[in-house]
Amino acid sequence: MGTSAEMAAVLQTLHPVTGAQGLIGTDPESCARVLGVDGVALSLLTSDGTAEMVWASEGDSRRLEDLQFTLGEGPCVDAVGRGSLVIEPDLSRLPADRWPVLLPELAALGIGAVFCFPLLVGRVCMGILTLQRRAAGPLTDAGMDDALILTGALTAVLLDGGAASDALMAVERPSDLYRAAVHQATGMISVQAGIPLSQALLRLRAYAYRHGRPILEVAEDVVARRLDFRNDGPEPDPSGRKRG
Amino acid sequence: MIAVAPQERVLQAFGEAVGTLIDDFDLIDALHRLCARGVELLDVTAVGIMLAGPHGDLQVLAASDERTGVLELFGLQSEEGPCAESYRSGEALVNAGLAAPDGTARYPLFAERARQAGYATAHALPLRLRQRSIGAIGMLHAGPHTLDPEGVRLGRTLADVATLAVLQQHTIEQGNVERAQVQAALVSRTVIEQAKGVLAEHWTTGVDEAFDALRGYARRHGERLADVARGIIDGTLGTEALR
Repeated sequence: MGTSAEMAAVLQTLHPVTGAQGLIGTDPESCARVLGVDGVALSLLTSDGTAEMVWASEGDSRRLEDLQFTLGEGPCVDAVGRGSLVIEPDLSRLPADRWPVLLPELAALGIGAVFCFPLLVGRVCMGILTLQRRAAGPLTDAGMDDALILTGALTAVLLDGGAASDALMAVERPSDLYRAAVHQATGMISVQAGIPLSQALLRLRAYAYRHGRPILEVAEDVVARRLDFRNDGPEPDPSGRKRG
Repeated sequence: MIAVAPQERVLQAFGEAVGTLIDDFDLIDALHRLCARGVELLDVTAVGIMLAGPHGDLQVLAASDERTGVLELFGLQSEEGPCAESYRSGEALVNAGLAAPDGTARYPLFAERARQAGYATAHALPLRLRQRSIGAIGMLHAGPHTLDPEGVRLGRTLADVATLAVLQQHTIEQGNVERAQVQAALVSRTVIEQAKGVLAEHWTTGVDEAFDALRGYARRHGERLADVARGIIDGTLGTEALR
């Protein structure tokens, strides 16, 4: 799988955030063009489980986000609940009871297709990237690859917690994040500290940075019970986007 | 045991894997069984299946032996090692010695760790989907081992079955199905690892025992491993139910 040159340019503009804004430097319209859709939106999940839109194209994409979070139904809600992609290339063919209130609204807006990419690490969901298009039909293979790559890069930047100044996780290969021990340690830490998995993963990551060690090595210590997080110092920032 | 020609046994393994694909099948468990069959058919010590994530890094999806040591040896090949090379080139890479000079020059970290774990030979074949490579199947053997042309054919059949299994997952999506299936498979694997950690900590056991409990429960109740894992993480399934 390769990244298109245009998507590579978008990835270059990703940077760790201290506030919710400014996560992606590129303007959403040009990102949408690269992905072959009419609009994009990114919403992050806050620690209390609500979603906060942090980046979106003007117009329909913003409206789509507002509607879903007001109505409590829609592709984003499904993607978070199931922890999987939601790809609906033709909304006109969906049964009306799929999203009974939302679907007529989307039809009125003229949105024909939606694609939701949750920012996932296993059962941890950091947020959702949503693409929408007036014309029905699947994404191109290149568009799908680019959307998956952007999703992975955003996930990595958010996990980075703003700690690594300009060391862009997006251009690094975050392969450590896909190693079994990291996920096992995440599960263990969530029980040790009595916190959700998403916070456990952030805490593992923050610990690794604080001690200047690779996350995989710290995770292996946790799994081998050489290290535990029962009393791991001060609480990290609850939004998980800043390091305390 | 009745001697069965290798090709027939591959077909049996194929049927066993595909037989589970009819309805909601458990991808990770099916691939684990396929890897275990691979060990018998190819007469190697361990077999693992890796799938490429969106960045092109390989992630372990299943192995013949789910103990952490074996998973981690395949996991080490995310960027370097025979599986990574085979995935990138789309070609088979067989009979690779892990000792110097070859092993240490091309994939020093993997070769060293594999030797420490007692392995001497590695093979890898790409998982092919039409014109592209989506992952790799890897084999490790404790001693010298030669995969002859027939062995390579058997390995390719196993790789094809694994690819088919990934594509058979029930996804509700209507479009972009193949890429969505690869993504779903990777998420399933990660969820299982997270649940292992949760269980191990609750019970103060090792993660390997936690996996045995997860799998035991999934098989007894006809549920998918990843679904049981999600239940544990979400708290909808009590950890006590698995003991």
